Amino acid sequence: MSNKKKIKNDIILAVIVLVIAAGGILLLNIFRTEGAFAVVKIDGAEAERYPLSVNTEAVIETGDNKEFKNTLVIEDGKAFIRDANCPDKICEGHNKISYKGETIVCLPHKVVIEIVAEDTADDLDVVV
Amino acid sequence: MLFSQVSLFTSCNFDSSKTKFSDYYFDYFDTVTTITAYMETEEEFKAVCEDVKAELNEYHKLYDIYFRYDNLNNICVINQLTDGKHNVVKVDKKIIDLLLYSKEMYELTNGKINVAMGSVLSIWHKYRNSGLSDPGKAELPPIEKLQEANKYVDFNKVIIDEENSTVFLSDPEMTLDVGAIAKGYAVERIAMALTEKGVTDVLLNVGGNVRTIGMGKDNEPWKVGIENPNLEKQEEIPHIEYLKISDMSLVTSGSYQRFYEVDGKSYHHIIDPNTLYPGEKYLSVSVLTNHSGLGDALSTSLFLMDIEEGKKLVESLENVEAMWVTTDGEQIYSDGFSDYTFEYKTN
Repeated sequence: MSNKKKIKNDIILAVIVLVIAAGGILLLNIFRTEGAFAVVKIDGAEAERYPLSVNTEAVIETGDNKEFKNTLVIEDGKAFIRDANCPDKICEGHNKISYKGETIVCLPHKVVIEIVAEDTADDLDVVV
Repeated sequence: MLFSQVSLFTSCNFDSSKTKFSDYYFDYFDTVTTITAYMETEEEFKAVCEDVKAELNEYHKLYDIYFRYDNLNNICVINQLTDGKHNVVKVDKKIIDLLLYSKEMYELTNGKINVAMGSVLSIWHKYRNSGLSDPGKAELPPIEKLQEANKYVDFNKVIIDEENSTVFLSDPEMTLDVGAIAKGYAVERIAMALTEKGVTDVLLNVGGNVRTIGMGKDNEPWKVGIENPNLEKQEEIPHIEYLKISDMSLVTSGSYQRFYEVDGKSYHHIIDPNTLYPGEKYLSVSVLTNHSGLGDALSTSLFLMDIEEGKKLVESLENVEAMWVTTDGEQIYSDGFSDYTFEYKTN
């Protein structure tokens, strides 16, 4: 094989690698922008939304004097309540959620964490 | 018949312009209510929500066993006034209807659903609440206390006068607790009222008591996931079954829903009228029916029955399917349950 041909093959290989890499990055970005969110609803109204792709910690404050607190944690694509000063602590005990339609409810504080995402054909409407 | 006509109509109506709406409420039946609907406009959805909220509010107040409201003879009033002297309480027809339905369920479930068990259930309620607010001092109710209360639970002493719309507890020690049935019954009545008005493609979820009307997304049946009742394994396996349903109700009774812990052991809220203690046969029972009140009553009573007795009861009823999850995590199904399940790919 001539040197010229070798270089030509190298260039083809490099282009293929670049195309695959670019495609991968593009796909990743698409998934990121279309990814799922943990939506915080207070008394039914959306207050905040956090992408599941970014590890986050946020204190949700409710009540007239912001005296009710739920600490929402997003870790490795899953959302959960790490601690809360509600009386029953049911939200704290709830498993981590990441599937569309799943919710964590804190009834005393009127807080709901709901996983939402772009529509796909197979979405669940509700999980009970 | 009405149901099939409604769904025929909607399935002809290929309309991809419908948007999914949902809203949450926290003020009814001590739980969270979700309304989900596929509708053309937000105004349309809001009108349905206002309607459902007004109805939930009314049923909640009428069926409330803990609180009284101004100028309203609700179940709490029946419990407090009927002390053997005040004779009869005049009540709204919605209460009479609930109590007559409760009687039907009492007979159907061989006494497993007994709304006259208030004396026993209120003791558990008190111990659970103090156990939750001060876990270090959580205690179990003494069996003697429960047995004493259990002397006043004879449903036949609930005197329902349909014609005059009155209720009388002829045993002065007796109180009503409609917790195992009122929520599901109210949801069914609300769903029926919506259907009569021609409202469709709505899913009502009152604390896990699900009732679907019409279709979900793209005029396909609603897709519902059932949570794993084994809390320790929820992270690994979050859901144990997936169902496609329309114009049907799904109700799950589970040991994980309402409980408290005493000395590291958890005690849930579904009390067996025979042992006076929480039922220990299953982690959960899910019931599919076309009537949410029946679903509510059945999920509780099946939770307390042996599997043979429960299966027999389910088989004797039309349009009823059930899934039992035993304490070992085994899933047992009624014969037709799989007609509604589907494989769901989580990724």
